[in-house]
Amino acid sequence: MSATPSVPAPKPPREFSPAFFGTVCSLPFFLLMLFGFVAPLLCVVWFGFMPAKTFALLQMPTFANYETIFNQTYFKSILWSIGLATVTVLTLLVICYPLAFGMAKIFRGGASFITYAIATSLFVSENIRLFGWVIGFMKNGVVGGTLAKVFDVQIDSLLYNIPVIILGMVYVYLPFMLFPLVLGLKMVPDQVREAAFDLGASRWQVFKKIDLPLSMPGVLIGSLLVFVLSVGAISEAKILGGQKVVTIASDIESEFTYAQNWPLGSALSTLFIALTTVVVFFALGRFDLEKLLGKKRSE
Amino acid sequence: MNFSQHLNRRDFMKIAGGTAAGLALSPLLSSSAFAAEAKRAKELNILCWEGYNSDNVLNPFRKLHKGIELKAESGTDDPSMINKLRAGELKVWDLINLNQCWARQQMWGEKLIKPLSKERFTPYIEKMMPMFYNKTTGINPFALSPDGKELIGMMQRFGPMNFVVNTKKISIKLAEDEGLPMFLDPKLKNKFGLLAWDNWNVLHMCVASGFTPYKMHTPEEVETFKKTAQTLFTNAKMISGDPAQLNQALINGEIDAIFSGGTYTCSVARAEGFNEVYHISPLRGPVNGKGSLQWFEVTSVVNNPDVSPLAEDFLEYVQQPDICHTVAMAAASHNPVSQMSQPDVFAKFKKEELNCFQWETLEADMTRSADYETIPDNDLLTSIYNEAKRSRG
Repeated sequence: MSATPSVPAPKPPREFSPAFFGTVCSLPFFLLMLFGFVAPLLCVVWFGFMPAKTFALLQMPTFANYETIFNQTYFKSILWSIGLATVTVLTLLVICYPLAFGMAKIFRGGASFITYAIATSLFVSENIRLFGWVIGFMKNGVVGGTLAKVFDVQIDSLLYNIPVIILGMVYVYLPFMLFPLVLGLKMVPDQVREAAFDLGASRWQVFKKIDLPLSMPGVLIGSLLVFVLSVGAISEAKILGGQKVVTIASDIESEFTYAQNWPLGSALSTLFIALTTVVVFFALGRFDLEKLLGKKRSE
Repeated sequence: MNFSQHLNRRDFMKIAGGTAAGLALSPLLSSSAFAAEAKRAKELNILCWEGYNSDNVLNPFRKLHKGIELKAESGTDDPSMINKLRAGELKVWDLINLNQCWARQQMWGEKLIKPLSKERFTPYIEKMMPMFYNKTTGINPFALSPDGKELIGMMQRFGPMNFVVNTKKISIKLAEDEGLPMFLDPKLKNKFGLLAWDNWNVLHMCVASGFTPYKMHTPEEVETFKKTAQTLFTNAKMISGDPAQLNQALINGEIDAIFSGGTYTCSVARAEGFNEVYHISPLRGPVNGKGSLQWFEVTSVVNNPDVSPLAEDFLEYVQQPDICHTVAMAAASHNPVSQMSQPDVFAKFKKEELNCFQWETLEADMTRSADYETIPDNDLLTSIYNEAKRSRG
């Protein structure tokens, strides 16, 4: 009787499920977001419920700061911020869409040049660029001085008004609208446009039925990016506008600095973050990004 | 049951291992504490107003202390700098340089600063200008704790702070005579800029309204303050937190005057030859008969539990005649210093340097100026001030 010695089967190599692997890989990012974003944000929200003019987090919560906000005229600053951001987004859409179309569909080497030229401007601090405009627009500055010298036309300062604030915002946030638009327009297949033209569609119809809907992800991302950035803008109104209007970011800064009222500053920040979030989610709700990007079938 | 009954071989190994590890780590721990101490000995962090952070002030100190990590960060308003300490940066900073009222009226009470060695620094103070040390009255009270026992900071830069005019447009005599209420005149509408330094603005708006800022205000006075703030914000052609931008506008004729300004804000423009940029100290007003305000800086040692041993050395270093001159003529702002009463310090200044901070009239300007202090109902007035600013658009 011979017995075959039983050899234990080799252990299969331990396999990690993709979900487990994904969780492990996302851990550093998750921790970064938790401690670098969520925790400070929660601190700000909580601080908004602390009594005014205090600096400690562990006190009896109160709604007094929110009462102060609603009893005073902070709504003006909020409206100015939202209004300026909206005008900036709309102006940039009008300016950038044709340029983005050219960069995506028409220019060849020129597109790279424009990309580099605009991207390079981002390497220079925003304040320095804005002060460049101040030198241009101040009384007897580059514009006024040139007009006086060449055409003998005397003009006053072009600064310290609302249009110049919008100009500054449009200038500063242009790259954030342009590049998403270029990517969005690159997603529009040339064959679809050509087919439409072959079927007798006019330029306007092609724009309305093909270009705009298919480039909507770029339009949406660019608009959201510019809106979120410009709604918190502070320098343009201060440097170019001579504080012709006070933005909400300026109010928040003032509460955290001169007024020494961190709880009120935190309450203003919380309220403003909530407002911006509502606007962003409303926009995202109106346009289903997944559907626009073609990842989800339309029902 | 006794101890020996429970001590088996494994326990023994644990205890032996723990003891060995403890013994091995103890020099390491003490050496790390020593290393931290040694690190602080080569480190100095200064929170200051613009000027002390200039390389021409800091570099000679770096040369004196080879390998030192010397960091100086400038702030643009006193409360923000105090807030840094309140927010937990007490362990970060070694020196804090603020206007006179904050050390005595806020930081000392909140234990944010610690006393200086009187033996070490009194000899320097005794050589300062009479407004900082007087044989009969002693050291200026703003450099002392409220009970007068402790020295809480060293005084150096100073200057009047009221408003600035372009003398080609507005005469010095008229401006000194009318004082801050001049800005409420409709004739000046859209002809002046407002330097948005909130603390100073609130003080100056009180003076422009005709009452002292340093008291609790009646409802009628608060109403007057509101009207003053609204008028000033409505009538100002531009508002900026940057004195250079306002000086530029003053020089190129966009505006004729700047509400809130002084030697600190206009000296650099004057040093560049624009003598028409002129600071005004009004002749009379509601602050015990004075219509002008002045500041001086008090630099204190932060109540850092691990304060750098170089903190007091730096305060002593800035007393040297050469360094006094460097501090006075710092890149961003030129200001007189308390040590200018000493002939060897005064000799360092050229005629045009004295001119940039209006030296000819400085003593008279300071004499008719009241101290910069905190306002008892500052919260209410600041809130009205901000409302008026927001309503501008």
